[in-house]
Amino acid sequence: MIVVEGLRKEFRRVLAVHDMTFTVGEGEIFGLLGPNGAGKTTTVRMLAGLITPTSGGATVNGHELGEGSQRIRAITGILTESPGLHEKLTARQNLAYYGRLYGLRGAELRRAVDRYLGIVEMSEHADRRVATFSKGMRQKVAIARALLHDPEVIYLDEPTSGLDPSAAKTVRDFVAGLRSLGRSIVVCTHNLDEAERLCDRIGIMRGTLLRVDSPAGLRRLGRAATVRVELNGARGPDSFLERLADLPFVTGAQALDGALLVEMADPGHETPDLVAMLVGAGARITAVREESATLEEVYLRLVGEVGERDLNTIPDARVRP
Amino acid sequence: MAFPALVFAAIPTGLVAFIQVNNLDPNQLGQIQQYISNFPGIDPKLAAQAFIVTNFMAYFLLIPAMVPMAIATQSVVGEKVARSLEPQLATPLEVPELLAGKTMAAALPAVSATWGVFILYGLVNGAIADTRLTRFVFNDVWLVAMTTLVPLICLFSVLLGIVVSSRVSDARTAQQIGGFVVIPIIGVAVAQFFGGHATFSMQQVILGDLLVAVLIGVALMIGSWAFDRESILTRLA
Repeated sequence: MIVVEGLRKEFRRVLAVHDMTFTVGEGEIFGLLGPNGAGKTTTVRMLAGLITPTSGGATVNGHELGEGSQRIRAITGILTESPGLHEKLTARQNLAYYGRLYGLRGAELRRAVDRYLGIVEMSEHADRRVATFSKGMRQKVAIARALLHDPEVIYLDEPTSGLDPSAAKTVRDFVAGLRSLGRSIVVCTHNLDEAERLCDRIGIMRGTLLRVDSPAGLRRLGRAATVRVELNGARGPDSFLERLADLPFVTGAQALDGALLVEMADPGHETPDLVAMLVGAGARITAVREESATLEEVYLRLVGEVGERDLNTIPDARVRP
Repeated sequence: MAFPALVFAAIPTGLVAFIQVNNLDPNQLGQIQQYISNFPGIDPKLAAQAFIVTNFMAYFLLIPAMVPMAIATQSVVGEKVARSLEPQLATPLEVPELLAGKTMAAALPAVSATWGVFILYGLVNGAIADTRLTRFVFNDVWLVAMTTLVPLICLFSVLLGIVVSSRVSDARTAQQIGGFVVIPIIGVAVAQFFGGHATFSMQQVILGDLLVAVLIGVALMIGSWAFDRESILTRLA
C-alpha cells in the first residue's frame, strides 16, 4: 500500500510537485494523468526512492521514504519512460543482469527470466541483441525487467507505448491480473482510453492532484448527469416535456432524435421515479441509459482550468510549465 | 582495449628490431649515443637498444590513465544519454556499490591490458635482440611500478572520469576534461628523456604511488559528493 502525504519537490527555484496526497491500496491500479511536465515522473521517482522529496513524505508497504528507500527500491518494479536497455546485450542478458541486481540467482533467476520473456511474448527473440529490436520489442523487454523480481509495488510509465494493439492488450490484461495478486500499481499515461480501461481510480494532476476519482466518477464531473430515454409509439417525446418539468429532481430536459434527454442530480436513485412517471403518462419506453461526459472532456477541462488559473497563485516558486 | 598499449609498445620494439636487423653502429644513432652510459659494461649496440626499450616504458603509464577514462565516462554519461542509468539506480544497489562496480568494470580490463602488453614487450624485445633486454624490462623498479603505480593511476583515472561524467551531459566533454590526467604523465616521460635518464628510480615510483594515492583520496571525497542518485537523474541530457 502506498500512502502519500503532502509530497513536494523543488528543483532549485522550480516547483515540480506540491501538496500531493493520495493512497494506493493493495490490489489497486491507480492512474496518474497529466500533461507533459505535470510532475508524474517526479512523483514516481520520489515514491520509488530515486530522488528525495523537498518536504512531505510517503510510506510504501510500511517503509518510509528516506531511511527505508533501499528497501522500497527492492520491493518496487519500475518501467521508466524510456526502456533504457543495454543495446549490446541480448534480451535474456539484459533481464539476467537486472535480476542479479535485484538479488535473484541461479535457477530462480533463469526461471524468472524465461517466465517473463514468455509473458511479454519475447521468448523467440530472447537471444537476439536489443540493438536489433523495434520500439515495441524493447518496451516488452523493459516491462519484463520491471516485473522480474515479483515486486509488491509497480510503477509503469506509459506501459503500452510503442506496442501494437494485440501486444498492448496482452500487457493490459497482465497488469490487470496483477491486481488479484494484491500488487499496488501506479500507471502514468497520456492514453485516456487505457487509463479508463485499466485503472480503478485516476488522479488528474498538473503540479498537484486536481481530482482523484474512479473513471465513472470523473466522467460525472464533466457535465450534469443525463439519462437518455428511447421511446416508441404514437406520442413523440415533446409531449412529455411539460410533465417532466414538474418533477423536482429534473434539472433540465429536451427532446432529441425521438428520445428524451433528462438531466438530474442523481440518476442512480432518481431514474426509477422518472421511468414510473413516464410509463404512467403513457410513454412506451424501449431503452433507458445514463450518458456522461468522456474522460477526455473532464481531463481537458480540469487541466485547462488549472493552466489558466491555479498555477499562477502558487507562492514562492515558479511551477514547471 | 589492448590496442593503444600495443601501439606504444610497437614503436620502441620497431626501433630495436631496426637496429638489430641493420646492425647499426650507435654512433649513427645521433642523440641516443649520449644515453648509453646508463648501461655500462655491455656493448654499445645493446646499450642503445636497452635505452630505447626502457625509456619508452614510461608511456605504459599512459594506458591506465587513458583507456579506463574512456570506459568510465561512457559508463556514466553514455548511460545517462542512453537512459539506461535510471533502471540501474532504481534497483536496491547503493550508490557506492554502483560506483565500485563501474570502477572495476573500467579499471580491470585496462590494468590487464597493460600487464599483458608489458609482458609481451619484455619477451618480444628479448627475442628480437638479446635476452638481457627482457631482464631490463622486468627489473625490480618496473615490476613494482606495474603492480602498484599502474593500478593506482587506473583507479584515479576511473574515479576522475566518473566524477566528471556525473556533472556533465555528454561523453565527449567528460573525456576532454578528464583527459588532463595524462598531461603530468607525458610531462614526466619527456622530462625523463631530456634529463638523460633511462627510466625511473625506485624512490620515484614510490613517490608516484604516494602522490596518486593522495589524489585518489581527493577524488573519492569529491566523488561521494558528486555521484548521488538525484543529481545524476536530474542532470540527464
